[in-house]
Amino acid sequence: MEPIIQIQKVTKTFLGKDNQVEALKGITLDIEKGDIYGIIGMSGAGKSTLVRCLNFLEKPTTGTVLIENKDLSAMTEKELRHTRTEIAMIFQHFNLLMQRNVLDNVCFPMEIVGMKKADARKRAMELLEIVGLSEKAKSYPAQLSGGQKQRVAIARALANNPKILLCDEATSALDPTTTKSILQLLQQINRDYGITIVIITHEMTVVQEICSHVAIIDNGELAEHGTVEEVFTSPKTPAAKKLVFMINPQMAEMRSKRCIRIVFVENSSFEPVIANMILECKAPVNILLADTKDINGIAHGQMILQLPEDENIAAKMIHYLRERKLTVEEVDSYVE
Amino acid sequence: MWNEIVTYWQQEGTIMTPMVSYLLENIWVTLYMTVVSTVLAYVLGLPMGIAMVVTAPGGLRSNHVVYRILDFVANIVRSVPFLILLILVIPLTRILVGKAYGPTSVIVPLVLAAAPFIARMVESSLLEVDKGVIEAAQSMGANLWTIIWKVMLAEARTSLIVGATIVLGTVLGYSAMAGIVGGGGLGDIAIQYGYYRRDNEVMWLCVILLVVLVQGMQYIGTKISKKMDKRVR
Repeated sequence: MEPIIQIQKVTKTFLGKDNQVEALKGITLDIEKGDIYGIIGMSGAGKSTLVRCLNFLEKPTTGTVLIENKDLSAMTEKELRHTRTEIAMIFQHFNLLMQRNVLDNVCFPMEIVGMKKADARKRAMELLEIVGLSEKAKSYPAQLSGGQKQRVAIARALANNPKILLCDEATSALDPTTTKSILQLLQQINRDYGITIVIITHEMTVVQEICSHVAIIDNGELAEHGTVEEVFTSPKTPAAKKLVFMINPQMAEMRSKRCIRIVFVENSSFEPVIANMILECKAPVNILLADTKDINGIAHGQMILQLPEDENIAAKMIHYLRERKLTVEEVDSYVE
Repeated sequence: MWNEIVTYWQQEGTIMTPMVSYLLENIWVTLYMTVVSTVLAYVLGLPMGIAMVVTAPGGLRSNHVVYRILDFVANIVRSVPFLILLILVIPLTRILVGKAYGPTSVIVPLVLAAAPFIARMVESSLLEVDKGVIEAAQSMGANLWTIIWKVMLAEARTSLIVGATIVLGTVLGYSAMAGIVGGGGLGDIAIQYGYYRRDNEVMWLCVILLVVLVQGMQYIGTKISKKMDKRVR
């Protein structure tokens, strides 16, 4: 299938007074029609700059972006404005017009394209129905919660039937429950209207929740990209690993604590020794490496475990393993 | 209090009755000078303020040269004391109004003094508008005019009205100096009678009337801006 967005060798350098910052260092990426594409990175990685290059709110220093094979850098100001009406955007801080009520906010993009007021209002009411805020049409943004404001922003974004929806940290200012409902709404929009969605986030959970594809941006460079499954199951780059491990904070927390190496030589492979130890001590361990084989009913090989922080439980575990005739040695924080 | 004062003058006899009508008449002169000058000054100052925000570094149409020029003009006019400006522009006033005295003539220096001040007020009001909202409008494909009109001015309207109220008060204060060129108005009377003739009663009456005018303007301005502000819960 033809990619709807083609990012081609995009670089962006911001000139400071006496220094220059390379926000993007040559990014090339294709986004297919109908994808929900997550672009994830730590703060300062350049992902917000990248998403602004997709509608030329930021013009790339070099390289370009093609939307449906049309080169944004080759467009006149007027053509660019027209293209922007087909690329909607929602933001972390919603960016609603505070002096307009909800209905008039949703009408705003239709005013820009010169739609008749009555038609715009009718469409706006339909859109508010879709996002579940019909009864708030006459309210002002200041009277709404964060989640409701983002729903208004989504309704506004859909007004001109865009082909692409860019989401810049759209859920970062929301609590987990609201985040979930907004993500569900985005998914529904993607499914019902076939709108390609690009989601910029620093939260891996957001990507995990709804994205089909993910690109990891690290320090202005594309570290890794592919389907969410691929990147999740086998993150290759340090940046990807860092982000993937962030999903389970406990796991990240267990890093660089006490590790032990167990060597199996004569144990029965029928005895689930590690599982029994966990049940006995009632604390989890982290298996960092497991390379064991069952040879004629005897377990051979080695394992590296990360022990819990609690000294007593750790000591109890070591004692438990030694009782079962295993060779146990402590190793410094295990790094591959 | 008003009634007491009026009665007091009426008791004094026929000389004071013309004074009362003279004062009342000059309330209108003051209002005429203030309001007309302010409106005309906005015709100059509002576009100037908008242009300053738009051409400023990081603005929607950043233009260093234009911004520098506007910035310079705004500063230089504000650094000339109004009393001096009043005299400096007499040749221009002659060309525009045909004469250099009377309330209408005072409008010329008042406009010239108020416009840069207004430009600065407008500039600061517009800079308060959330950059994110402007960015959102850009992302929707809005052109410059739409952003100025429907985003910047519309979102900053309460701040602009508060600014206009401050401008009215300032212009009213400036108009008191109109006496220098025979401009008339309450401030003129206060100086003529109070300062030159040591007639404290007339001076105080003028001061009270000026205070009432400023209070009234402020009250109305605050009321309107509050009413128009939709940011409250």
